[in-house]
Amino acid sequence: MPELFIQDLRTDDAGAEESAVTRERLKDVFPKLASRRMTQLGLVLGSTLLPHSPGENDTLIYASEYAETRALEGYLDSFPSASPTLFQTSIHPSAVQQALIGRQQPVREIFPLAGRAHLVVRALQTALLATSPRSLLCGGEERGTWLLERGTASTRTFGFTLALARQGTGSIGCIQFLDTEANAGGLTLPDFFDALHTRAALDVIAAPGVRLVLQWS
Amino acid sequence: MAAIGCLTALGDASATHRALLNGECALRPTPVLGRDGGDLVPMALCPDRSLDETAPPNWLAALRPLAAAIPGEGWGGLRRPVFITSSNFGVGSLYAFRRTGDPQHLQYGTPSTCVEWLRGELGWGPNITTFSHACVSAHLGLLQAARALHAGLADEALVFSFDFLSPFVAGGFHSLKILNADFPAPYQDRPAGSIGLGDGAGFAVLTRDRGDFAILGQSLHNEMHHFTANQSDGAGFAACLAGLSVVAAGRHPWLKGHGTGTLEAGRLEAQAFAKAFPEAPLVSWKGSLGHTLGSCGVVELALAVEALRTGRTPGTIGSRTPGFSDAVAFEAFDNTGFDSALCASNAFGGAHAALLLTHA
Repeated sequence: MPELFIQDLRTDDAGAEESAVTRERLKDVFPKLASRRMTQLGLVLGSTLLPHSPGENDTLIYASEYAETRALEGYLDSFPSASPTLFQTSIHPSAVQQALIGRQQPVREIFPLAGRAHLVVRALQTALLATSPRSLLCGGEERGTWLLERGTASTRTFGFTLALARQGTGSIGCIQFLDTEANAGGLTLPDFFDALHTRAALDVIAAPGVRLVLQWS
Repeated sequence: MAAIGCLTALGDASATHRALLNGECALRPTPVLGRDGGDLVPMALCPDRSLDETAPPNWLAALRPLAAAIPGEGWGGLRRPVFITSSNFGVGSLYAFRRTGDPQHLQYGTPSTCVEWLRGELGWGPNITTFSHACVSAHLGLLQAARALHAGLADEALVFSFDFLSPFVAGGFHSLKILNADFPAPYQDRPAGSIGLGDGAGFAVLTRDRGDFAILGQSLHNEMHHFTANQSDGAGFAACLAGLSVVAAGRHPWLKGHGTGTLEAGRLEAQAFAKAFPEAPLVSWKGSLGHTLGSCGVVELALAVEALRTGRTPGTIGSRTPGFSDAVAFEAFDNTGFDSALCASNAFGGAHAALLLTHA
């Protein structure tokens, strides 16, 4: 039975917090000049990622359905004089890059994923196939504005980073994958985040053929 | 690799390879914002396709023949995963929505809605993993597909990659001042170099035990130095190539570089290649096809396969001497004296990817 052990976990549930409030709250996590230019998602995600001290040989997996919504909205609003800064900031996986460029921290393998119902399972499967001893699986969203009004953005801001390993020593929880005959199911990123944030157990059909069990030590 | 194919402005893999051997350039001066006008910049669009987004996106018509060429059935089933990769997906539809206010465009605008729509159109099951890492996206699909196969989690794996241009992406690159507004004057005539953009899509069916060609090894490296610049000593390029040193030992490859046409990245890439593979000729095809963004890894892999299959490697079209190094091959050459091809791609954030391709 494939399983991943949770070595560490950081979460940030910013909810409907305004970007300026998030920036003020998290400014000490980042170099001063860097935090001024970071997006809300970059701040929230980075604040959960950097405490794990990511290293070059960690595999970094980043899951987000909408990613840089505010930068995307701003970039679209900037036409016909398109903004170069907002263009580059809107590109996946900008949030992770904002955090790691601030630290000048190279990472050999980064797998940025997109998706919805099966995003969590695909991200965890990517971690399962990683060849490094440790995988850092981060994820998050930022609350949109005009795209949210059209149902094309997240309703809330949140971020998390899981440190995962295939060895169980010292773990605080584990994630197991079991085969199932069920051909329907899903586990969204916000639902997964809520379970992580509250340390709640999960036992769900997370994708066709995949039962996911999350347990805490 | 059981099968591979691609689509560019010059046609399928075979037609594109022939056109490149003939020195054809697909790039055409095109208004950067489509019907909204703007500067003329080099873009290579698929035949009969407008830059302007429609609902549903007009590029589906171009994708259908490519998808129809994928052998086998049941893609997206439990043992036949699909890895879809793109940089832009249908984000051009969000530009169209913002410009027109037509809510129909919204249903293709995010990666998840775009992939779900495409999955339905192409008849694939739900076992789909979606990667988006700018211009190394396709390499992530290839690497993860290989790992799924080696782990016994798949019987076969399909990597499907696409990126079609829109005012969204063309406007973005133009805002960075790296599209060649002086086209067809070559990049050397501009202070920082410049690039063209192109439509592109491709697929690769990976298996453990059949096919005429094989990927011997893959490597990734992310500098995390700057969003749009590389470390000035070229360490990122070297680190990525170092990841292939074991599988490349004793090999005699020719090199397909990323080679977009920006001067600094081009110089660093050529230097890294020259140091790691001093005898190997280096080519880039983006001077003809444009940069096909997130799809370029698979598109150019399909062309490299075609080059190995026919024994002829197209030269670096749209450029001229002096090159970034003496290794840059401007003319097509006979590759039968080489035993492999090393294909590399780069992306925003100092992301690097490379793979080693050979006859099986």
